[in-house]
Amino acid sequence: MNQIKAYVSQKTWSPYLAGILLGIVGLLTVLLVNTLLGASGAFESIVGLIGKKIAPSLFNNIYWGVEGGRALPIIRPEITWAVILLVGIFFGGTLGALSSRTFKFRFNDDAQWKRIIGPQPWKRWVIGFIGAIFVQYGAGIAGGCTSGLAISGGMLFVPAAFLFMAGFMITGVITALIVYRKRY
Amino acid sequence: MAISSVIIALVLGVGFGFSLNKAGLTSYNNIANQFRFTDMTILKYMMTAIVTAMIGLYIFRGLGWVTFPTVPATYIVGNLIGGLIFGVGMAGAGY
Repeated sequence: MNQIKAYVSQKTWSPYLAGILLGIVGLLTVLLVNTLLGASGAFESIVGLIGKKIAPSLFNNIYWGVEGGRALPIIRPEITWAVILLVGIFFGGTLGALSSRTFKFRFNDDAQWKRIIGPQPWKRWVIGFIGAIFVQYGAGIAGGCTSGLAISGGMLFVPAAFLFMAGFMITGVITALIVYRKRY
Repeated sequence: MAISSVIIALVLGVGFGFSLNKAGLTSYNNIANQFRFTDMTILKYMMTAIVTAMIGLYIFRGLGWVTFPTVPATYIVGNLIGGLIFGVGMAGAGY
């Protein structure tokens, strides 16, 4: 029992064990709610919800739904199941960090990032912000992110999932080559 | 939304976030090093999750416990270009 406790409170588990846990979560999602795990759509729902309040004409399109239109919106601008899941993900990550006593507010304390890009927190924030735009835009076009498309699609043998994985590996490696150059 | 589905969403979300944290995917170096092939955590994690869920899903479908939900649409150009854009942000910022 104590051994289990000690293992659970480790900073990182074997990726295989963590993967099995995610697999079970994905399986339960299908079993209990007959839907797929996904994170990126939730952000789009929140944006749509806010956008429809502050700029209704701009957000009155086929993506978030046309007012009085017959076609279903691609992204429902409301508090969807995925939005609540996202809240859970936040607390799950917090719980994981608390369990290993590594919970801490950080601005830029990744040793590798400091060495390669620089110790200044603003660089982390600016590059993080720009990177997030790429990630969310890419996920929007592809129809999902690593969880909603690659993992959830992969477990149903959807070709889209494998195309998406191939896509992000190609440019990911190129980006890493550009960032790291000789230190790659 | 029914209160039960809110609770299910929260519990499953906690499981998801917890597993991401324990796989170490909440830190920059683990994500960046996948693209340098010095740390294969992401692929091990993703493939294990896919295989685990896949085995369970097909068993459950065989037993008649689940019907598969609507699958993400495949449109070759969109999936691929979306993935290509996604990769820049993923490797650059480390998500």
